[in-house]
Amino acid sequence: MSVMVLLLLAGGAVATGFLLAFVWAVRTGQFDDTCTPAVRILLEDTGRPPQASSAEGTSHDHRSR
Amino acid sequence: MPGTATLDPVRTDVCCLHCGEPCDAGAPVTVQGTFCCDGCRAVFDILEAHQLGAFYLCDVAPGVSQRSRRSPDALRFAALDDPAVAAHLIDFDDGRSARATFAIPSLHCASCVWLLEQFWRFDPGTSRAEVDLQHRTLRVNYRPTETSPRRIAERLAALGYEPEISPEHRVDRAPAGRRRLYVQIGVAGFALGNIMLFSIPRYLSGAPLEHGFQPLFHLVTIALSIPVLLVSAADYFRVAWLAVRHRTMALEVPVALGLAVLFLRSLADIASGRGDGFMDSFVGLVFFLLLGRLFQQKVFDSLAFDRTFRSFLPLSVRVERPGHAEVVPIEQLEPGDRISLRRGEIVPADARLLDESGRVDYAFLTGEQAPVATRRGDTVRAGGRAATALRLAVLRPVSHSLLASLWNNPLFHRPRTHRLTTLASSFGGWFTLAATGLAAAGAIAWWPDAAASATVATAVLIVACPCALTLSAPVTLGTAMGLLGRRGIFLRQAAVVLDLSEIDLVVFDKTGTLTGGRARRVIEVGGLTRQARGLALRLARESAHPVSRAIADSPMFGADGAPLAPGDEACAEVEEIPGRGVRGTIEGTRVAVGSAAFVSDVTGRTLTADGRTWVAAGEELGWVRLAAAPRAGVEAATATVAKTSAIWLLSGDHAGERTLWDRLFGSAMRFDQSPDDKLAFVTRQQAAGRRVLMVGDGLNDAGALAAADVGLAVSDDTACVVPACDGLMAGSRLQHLPAILQFARRARLIVLAGFAVSIVYNAVGLTYALSGHLTPLASAVLMPVSSITIIALSSGLVRFSARRMLPA
Repeated sequence: MSVMVLLLLAGGAVATGFLLAFVWAVRTGQFDDTCTPAVRILLEDTGRPPQASSAEGTSHDHRSR
Repeated sequence: MPGTATLDPVRTDVCCLHCGEPCDAGAPVTVQGTFCCDGCRAVFDILEAHQLGAFYLCDVAPGVSQRSRRSPDALRFAALDDPAVAAHLIDFDDGRSARATFAIPSLHCASCVWLLEQFWRFDPGTSRAEVDLQHRTLRVNYRPTETSPRRIAERLAALGYEPEISPEHRVDRAPAGRRRLYVQIGVAGFALGNIMLFSIPRYLSGAPLEHGFQPLFHLVTIALSIPVLLVSAADYFRVAWLAVRHRTMALEVPVALGLAVLFLRSLADIASGRGDGFMDSFVGLVFFLLLGRLFQQKVFDSLAFDRTFRSFLPLSVRVERPGHAEVVPIEQLEPGDRISLRRGEIVPADARLLDESGRVDYAFLTGEQAPVATRRGDTVRAGGRAATALRLAVLRPVSHSLLASLWNNPLFHRPRTHRLTTLASSFGGWFTLAATGLAAAGAIAWWPDAAASATVATAVLIVACPCALTLSAPVTLGTAMGLLGRRGIFLRQAAVVLDLSEIDLVVFDKTGTLTGGRARRVIEVGGLTRQARGLALRLARESAHPVSRAIADSPMFGADGAPLAPGDEACAEVEEIPGRGVRGTIEGTRVAVGSAAFVSDVTGRTLTADGRTWVAAGEELGWVRLAAAPRAGVEAATATVAKTSAIWLLSGDHAGERTLWDRLFGSAMRFDQSPDDKLAFVTRQQAAGRRVLMVGDGLNDAGALAAADVGLAVSDDTACVVPACDGLMAGSRLQHLPAILQFARRARLIVLAGFAVSIVYNAVGLTYALSGHLTPLASAVLMPVSSITIIALSSGLVRFSARRMLPA
């Protein structure tokens, strides 16, 4: 019996973790564009903008709406 | 027939290196290749200069044709210097870094992504650029100290990606509603899977589980259902509550009622220990309902369908102020301002001509093809295109122009109603009445036993769920809309498919709709003998220019009979001068076809330019009049449509071409129609009980497109402005109109089939419910099975019909 409860808790924790991960992914816009990334991955890497600090590029991207 | 082999038309099949369009003779040729126009070559040069030639390796001729660039005006983005206009683009700006989102309709392929994501190479003030192909937007991070939205827009345009700057619509990249729906579906799916794990042991054992597992499982089940109730099903309750408060009926009302009863009854059953509740049915139902809604929300948000008159006008215009000229946003134009327009620019406000004379092209407003000659003091209407450079004095503010007055028609402000919405709300009303009636009847029948009668009444409300209308219609119509979209026919929303299925009158516009593109045809010939016509035909076959092709294909020049001037000698000394004409020598006779100026040069006779094309063959001189030719396959398509519905032709053009359309439309034609005439015609037909489909393109159809049951706009260039409409398709797709209408009718049959299936399920469920035997197991099986069969049946049948009926 107590083993079952432990299993339930463990299983529930894992499932909830995945649910939260999914909600986070949606909130940060990962499902907004399901078309371009598939194209982008096929293109050659072309280097990055000269002095584009990564912080500047992403700090505002994931603001929640 | 002697010598037919040498008369075979010589057509250049060289395609532009940049955009892949066929090149005419006289197209710019460089060491690297041939281009269709100088615009394409300019883009190629820019890319080469930045060592980005790999653009051409990602795809074959990936560029966007620059031939029909709308306005070559270098100042067209000057209005972006105005913070109020730029605010439409800027997502945030903290002074040090900023981000702007541009709508770029011409984004289309991997090469575009590759190129634009390296935009920092073109503008060092920008850092990161991100393309969204689905919504056709580009998001640019930039440093406002080093660059500006205007500079970015200008550089984008120079690359051939003209951003669309609409003063009315904000470019919103991420539809918040879609994110919310994904979360709701995720929560419901999560709960459904886990609840099933706890329910199946109970169903398999057939009796409550031992060792206190059952209460534990019940508790977990309830815990899992609460987020579903609060998050996933929230929208149904909210909409239902709104509907009840406003005393209207929506389909959400019976759904919300069913869901609430399902949840409360389950809680009561579990709390009182009388049963196991229906939590699995509840969660499953919400999950499938939300899936249906996802289909419903699959709209093409990249296409703007709500355009008002403002979208047709430029953002800014050059105003002559004392001593200098400045660029002013057109909202700030005041009566009396003197504005100057270059050739090809749009007149932003009603104005008076200051020049001695000028010509204005009203084709987009009225459908009239020939530019109108205007004299000093004449009024020039907003929306016209300057065919010559014009200097004008503004008469009225932009918002008071005659063009704007069309939009003051209340029609443009009422929300569009679709058959599906009206059907759904009336159905929802009846459904709620019937379900509550049946529940009451069941309760009375079981009355003395209070517990049993409550069980039966709630069971009826649980089983009677309008699955057909909440699942079958959205899934069928949503799939149909998606399949049409993949074939280049974009609908504003899924319900339009149902509206299309009921059309019994199709009204066509002529210019730009039935006709279009650069193809021409001969409508009148003057002053040429048979011999001369034959020679002109043989010369015309040497050239690929639209005018030459029109002559080469015209029966009036003997294209389909025996040659009028037989001979096997090929044309000699053929010379084609772009923009002027073509000339050559056949059997010693000099032949020339072209503009008045060109033929005067060749023959030495004075000719005036009046829109005719002149033909000289030896000493003979004659002319042809040309008109835009119907699009390929459109005549056959119109004839097919006429078999199933009435057709009308409403043209803003003059009646000169009446005879050309006789064969198709008979007497069902009207010419010289103003936008208001067209609108009135459509409303009159609707009053007579017709369901009208309006197919048009320009501003002169805007009223009719909005008034019709379905307004389909035809556009040769998706980047081009189209009026508010229900659907949008490329001109080349118009020939598939009969197939589209037939497909819509089939989709309607499939919706009805879905209704029939769900009625069967409801009948089975109701017998269980009324006899008091609706066990959680029966409900848990019945609900998902009915949902899944309806989804599978609807989308499967639609896909099957699309493959059979629609062109690839």
